[in-house]
Amino acid sequence: MQVFHIRYRNAQGTLMRILNAVSRRALELTSVHAEGSGQDYAVTMLLEVNPKQIGQLYREWYAIVDVIEVRSRAVLHEQEVPAWGPHPPASESIAEQPTRAALA
Amino acid sequence: MLKGAEIVLRCIRAEGVDLVFGYPGGAIMPLYDALDGSGVRHILTRHEQGAVFAAEGYARVTGKVGVAMATSGPGATNLVTGIADAKMDSVPLVCITGQVRTAMIGTDAFQETDVFGVTLSLTKWSRLVRTIDEIPDAIAEGFYWARSGRPGPVVIDIPTDILKAKKEFSGPAKFKPHSRPADAKADGAFRDTIVGLLQRATRPVALVGAGAKLSGAIQELRRLLDDLNVPTFATVHGLGAVPPQSPYYLGMVGMHGTRAANTALHETDLLMVFGARLDDRVTGDPTRFAPNAKIVHFEIDPAQLDRVRACELPVIGNLADTIPAFHAEVRKASMPDWSNWRAVACGAERAELDPRGLAQPTMRFLDELFSRLPQDNVIIADVGQHQMWAAQRYRSSSPRGFITSGGLGAMGFALPAAVGVQLAKPDTCVLCVSGDGGFQMNIQELATVHRLGLPIKMVIVDNKYLGMVRQWQQLFYERNYAETDLSDNPDFVEIAKAYKIHGWRLNEAAMVEFPVSAETGDLIDNFLSSPGPELLVFDCAPEANVYPMVPAGAALSEMVFEDAE
Repeated sequence: MQVFHIRYRNAQGTLMRILNAVSRRALELTSVHAEGSGQDYAVTMLLEVNPKQIGQLYREWYAIVDVIEVRSRAVLHEQEVPAWGPHPPASESIAEQPTRAALA
Repeated sequence: MLKGAEIVLRCIRAEGVDLVFGYPGGAIMPLYDALDGSGVRHILTRHEQGAVFAAEGYARVTGKVGVAMATSGPGATNLVTGIADAKMDSVPLVCITGQVRTAMIGTDAFQETDVFGVTLSLTKWSRLVRTIDEIPDAIAEGFYWARSGRPGPVVIDIPTDILKAKKEFSGPAKFKPHSRPADAKADGAFRDTIVGLLQRATRPVALVGAGAKLSGAIQELRRLLDDLNVPTFATVHGLGAVPPQSPYYLGMVGMHGTRAANTALHETDLLMVFGARLDDRVTGDPTRFAPNAKIVHFEIDPAQLDRVRACELPVIGNLADTIPAFHAEVRKASMPDWSNWRAVACGAERAELDPRGLAQPTMRFLDELFSRLPQDNVIIADVGQHQMWAAQRYRSSSPRGFITSGGLGAMGFALPAAVGVQLAKPDTCVLCVSGDGGFQMNIQELATVHRLGLPIKMVIVDNKYLGMVRQWQQLFYERNYAETDLSDNPDFVEIAKAYKIHGWRLNEAAMVEFPVSAETGDLIDNFLSSPGPELLVFDCAPEANVYPMVPAGAALSEMVFEDAE
């Protein structure tokens, strides 16, 4: 189980585009909550995903022009309170690439 | 005071638009009413799908934003295939649709569809305009997103009452995008890492995709590849990015790629990808794609990374920025001698390029046709067997010289797209190659070709089948040719005549001789050099197949080269 926290500009359709990335993969969406977050909006989702899908979702959400930031963490139970950290998918940060190269 | 429709037209003029493609209807009538004197030329097609494909053709050949207009309801839904096509192939496209009156939205009014919702998953950005005040911002932001980053389709849906409303117009808006953490650029240390990988590689290769053209970095890429001098191949959208005469160039890769390209890709230990999505038609079985290779992926759209196969080193950014930076590092470093690998990888390719080795008459015909085209030409291929034959025989080094619906594979694309290409390039020889199935999907655009007097040269490769589907039925469904027989096709030459377009006919028997007879050569030359639109029907064997072929789900190394007995 993975919790995703996505901050976005509340432009027309942005939340639907975010959810569409989930529905097009027929993923189990256990819970979803969207609300204002400072000047922006944020949506929190609990999803059953595999590691490859985490990376795919992360990148697809970032391709939505009004998405500002994506974070995620694994949880064991739905009730767990998420403590957000930057999500580390394979291609997230250019700065991390030399490290990845060393591991490759 | 200006009407909303006039504001729309002023704003798109400010974005550099002087040509739009469309089809009128109820909800968008105010926009059509305002066209006269707006400075925007409207091209009437005979179907909205024709309009959106024509806008795509215009955009693909120029790199500018293509614009299509349609009314609400069926007009808007008829645009959907073109929008999906633009999304898959990264085409900058803005579709402006009329919508029912604001007060009627959501009431299932006449010709109401939720085009915003219908196209949500296909567009890069979209907007349902709610007030006349929003028009300038919507146009500015829509055009910005259509052409920025990885280009793509945008829909701007405008209710008819807003098009008719009036307000003071203070000028077009400018859109300034918000910044976000993901927009970081590659740093120097990262480039060092790629150079290190190159220095350790024994069998490096380069794969070039559409991104090389879209970024405008063709010359930078060619200089880099000349210096690297490693075996190089292209996706169908990358054709023309690398001059085919380059000694390291191996042609097209993927399902119907060359033996040399697919073999090198299977054997490489370092794959550098420049602006390609690595879709399944390129990779074959992703679990066996380039099985021994580390992948360095130069890509502008992070969503394309690791989709089907993880890459070791993603380089996110515009190739116009990342290639020169990478090249500068390559120049500073000393590279291993890859001449043996190059000789092995490129050895087979020369034989594949030799037209004397072409046993397939349609390939030989296309080869002959392409070789007789004037230097300044654009080829638009539809979808199917002829598309792959044309791609295999394409030998131009014009980056935007081969246009086709690659990702979506939308039959019916070529004829209307050719309309857009010819309008964008009035002095260029535009050759439209279709199959008999695809041509009939937008055959009505012959009327547009005739009405505008566009000198498009149209070829129908007529095998009286949905050829590619039939090929798969033959190979994978025990020759059960279910519903692919088109033996009751109309006489296309007669159809052309009805549209006042001259028609020609050539049988594949004429292609048996090599070189072709003077008579056949003259026919092709006369077809190509006639001043107006011309249609040539090439009658070919019904059961000809496209080879090489990598069967679906197979690895690139498992190419099939001929029919099994």
